[in-house]
Amino acid sequence: MPWRDRSGRFSPFKATVFLALFLPALWIAYGYLSGTIGALRLMESLRDIGNWGLRLLLISLAVTPLRKSLQWPQLIQVRRMIGVAAFAYIATHFLLYVIDQSFDIGKVASEILLRIYLTIGFVALLGLSALAATSTDAMLRRLGGRRWQRLHRIVYGIALLGIIHFFMQTKADVTEPTVMAGLFGWLMGYRLLVWLRSDGARPSPLAVAGLSIAAAVATGAGEALYFWLKTGVDPLRVLALDFSLQLGLRPVWWVLLIGLAVALAAVIRSIGAAGRRDARRRKLGVEAPSA
Amino acid sequence: MHVRVRRGWEIPEREATPEEVFLRRRRLIAGLAAAPALLAGARLLTRPAFADAVEDPSAGLYPATQNPKYLLDRPLTAEADATSWNNFYEFGSSKDVVEEAQALPIRPWMVKIDGLVEQEIEIGIDDLLKQMPLEERLYRHRCVEAWSMAVPWSGFPLASLVAFARPTGDARYLKMTTFMNPEVAPGQQVIWYPWPYVEGLTMAEATNELAFIATGFYGKPIPKQNGAPLRLVVPWKYGFKSIKSIVQFSFVAERPVGFWEALQESEYGFWANVNPEVPHPRWSQATERQLTTDERVPTLLFNGYADYVADLYKGLENERLYA
Repeated sequence: MPWRDRSGRFSPFKATVFLALFLPALWIAYGYLSGTIGALRLMESLRDIGNWGLRLLLISLAVTPLRKSLQWPQLIQVRRMIGVAAFAYIATHFLLYVIDQSFDIGKVASEILLRIYLTIGFVALLGLSALAATSTDAMLRRLGGRRWQRLHRIVYGIALLGIIHFFMQTKADVTEPTVMAGLFGWLMGYRLLVWLRSDGARPSPLAVAGLSIAAAVATGAGEALYFWLKTGVDPLRVLALDFSLQLGLRPVWWVLLIGLAVALAAVIRSIGAAGRRDARRRKLGVEAPSA
Repeated sequence: MHVRVRRGWEIPEREATPEEVFLRRRRLIAGLAAAPALLAGARLLTRPAFADAVEDPSAGLYPATQNPKYLLDRPLTAEADATSWNNFYEFGSSKDVVEEAQALPIRPWMVKIDGLVEQEIEIGIDDLLKQMPLEERLYRHRCVEAWSMAVPWSGFPLASLVAFARPTGDARYLKMTTFMNPEVAPGQQVIWYPWPYVEGLTMAEATNELAFIATGFYGKPIPKQNGAPLRLVVPWKYGFKSIKSIVQFSFVAERPVGFWEALQESEYGFWANVNPEVPHPRWSQATERQLTTDERVPTLLFNGYADYVADLYKGLENERLYA
């Protein structure tokens, strides 16, 4: 049961996350039923549920970085749950597409073959299905930890395909997929930082801050390059717009602020952890090393 | 033998709905729907006073008399849907731009007519409205994104405006331009869009009887999000051709490059005639989802207006007519 921990006890943390994973779907369902989602309810729901599926997939990829940097080992308990939820959202996204095509399976199949962004999305869904199917404890045991992990590493590729699919289906305003691409870069960069360390330990908050700046710069530069190639607009003018804030928070800032928030949380957490260590030592009658 | 090909609006007398039945049916439908002013016929009977329309100096011009030539093969879209599901990138890229669009000042509104004309004209919208023959038409509207509506526009034939403008013989295209005001239209601050919005028609298209300038919608002045105070309606083309909130009509010799064409030529061309057989690069155009009924229905060639416009494209088969 998703609300029990390994020892079978009720876990308020797991239960809370489990319930929270339903909230976006409930919100979309409410919008659909009340009509507030927009005049074409099915089209809007289809888009929103896919969008949330991709967000959940990125959140599942954020579990490891947060677990390490925030020294929060319990977070691993909810990773699988988030991944399975991402699959459920994206499978529903596909189901709504089939409904939108009036259950004309021939049309659905031909569209998937003809439109490259649908091909990409469908491949991502197939990959995600394989991960969902092997997400049970029984399957994990059957595959063995190492093989299971190797298989589940394809989630990086799946997330990338999902973001490309999102980019390609967007008509003109690529703000959201750009933010996602920047955050995906950050998540992969974090893993690179871990891999670069010989001890495989968590990167320092300073390194995380550096990564966040790098990911934000790459986001801004990539965006400017994209618009330059697509429309010929001067990349410097696009970059200048990032600083004017007249269009609200641009993707650069989203990526930077989210990244820096993790670095800051890591610092706070380290201070807290050091304080707790000292307190424990004092309790045990051991002198703090600095004293 | 003389074969008479019947055009779209020509139906035998026996098939015509008697006016009384027509009105009764409309009253019934309108009664079922929440909004009492949903349909043109019902509106004529009830004439509700709309507080928001009172301030508009043109409010008294509507509802205009319905032209019985332009009727529909499908139920009318609910007004609430047609006025809340809008592509108006000047005010944002989502469909929900109702609130943002209210910032647009629509009085005074000067319209400039220039280019290859006998004499340039600059005229205020209310003076222009006095010179134009207003009527109401029911048209289908098909968006390139594969959704559609069926709505009552009020306004005047574009041909009347062309006659008013008196273009010279050199004019080959009519180029239309939307207002440019990034202060009130935040979308126009997005510098990688080729603002202001521009669209164009050939002179033959512009003077086709279907080409229409809408100034009213559902028997009232047209709401801002739908393109107040005047917009183009070319129902046989994808919706993006029907440019909103026009400030300038220029008669030109060169084919104008439209907003979407400039942005993504491979997906949004100059002609953009509706054709279910020719897919958009990213999706099929064979069917469309209707607002209000929320049903998916087959898309029709020229959006069902082939009788009126197919002749315009004879000899242009080498052009990319349907994208």
